[in-house]
Amino acid sequence: MVSGKHKSRTYKRVKIRTPGGTVKIHFRKRAPAKAKCGVCKQELHGVPRKRPFQMRALPKTKKRPERPYGGVLCSKCMRQQIINKLE
Amino acid sequence: MFEIGRLCVKLAGRDAGKKCVVVEVLEGNYVLIDGETRRRKCNLAHLEPLKEVIKIKAKASHEEITKTLEPLGFKVLNTKPKKASEKPKKKSRVKKQKPVKTGKKVTPKLDVAEKSKAEKPVKSEKPKETKKTTKE
Repeated sequence: MVSGKHKSRTYKRVKIRTPGGTVKIHFRKRAPAKAKCGVCKQELHGVPRKRPFQMRALPKTKKRPERPYGGVLCSKCMRQQIINKLE
Repeated sequence: MFEIGRLCVKLAGRDAGKKCVVVEVLEGNYVLIDGETRRRKCNLAHLEPLKEVIKIKAKASHEEITKTLEPLGFKVLNTKPKKASEKPKKKSRVKKQKPVKTGKKVTPKLDVAEKSKAEKPVKSEKPKETKKTTKE
């Protein structure tokens, strides 16, 4: 009997070919939402969309762009904020 | 606008938000900058000019810029010079000489009678311990 959590669509279904040749369905948790800019809500580049345990395995430099506010603001908003600070 | 000695703020990259000085005007849209940032070529689109202009020589060296900027309160970035590492030399493989095989030690075969003697050690009778009972 299939359990309830596998009947709903909360899990992603991945087809996997087993060594025996048959295709089985594996249930995996879905990827988290894409990272967005804190000001303009634009999708951020250079931020991987992975589960926390996969993010933990990554080095710090691969988790976000290496500039001030990297992974928080998009480059446009970051530039604007630097200029605003000067004034 | 971007003449030599112009104080700017870098807008792009890992040095974004740091102040720098134009050291040299290069061809096209580029200038050479130095200061709190790394000394490097930079696109004008990535610089925000400030009002101040500092008196420095054209193509001034990094040491000259540190002398002029540090009294003004700027923390000039000093990068460590890269050490030229020597290329690892390829080691020529020298074949290890295998130890010369010496013939197996041949043990002289014993005769059947002698073999049986050698295998069966003579039983040495141990003197039986007699319990001494002493009456007090």
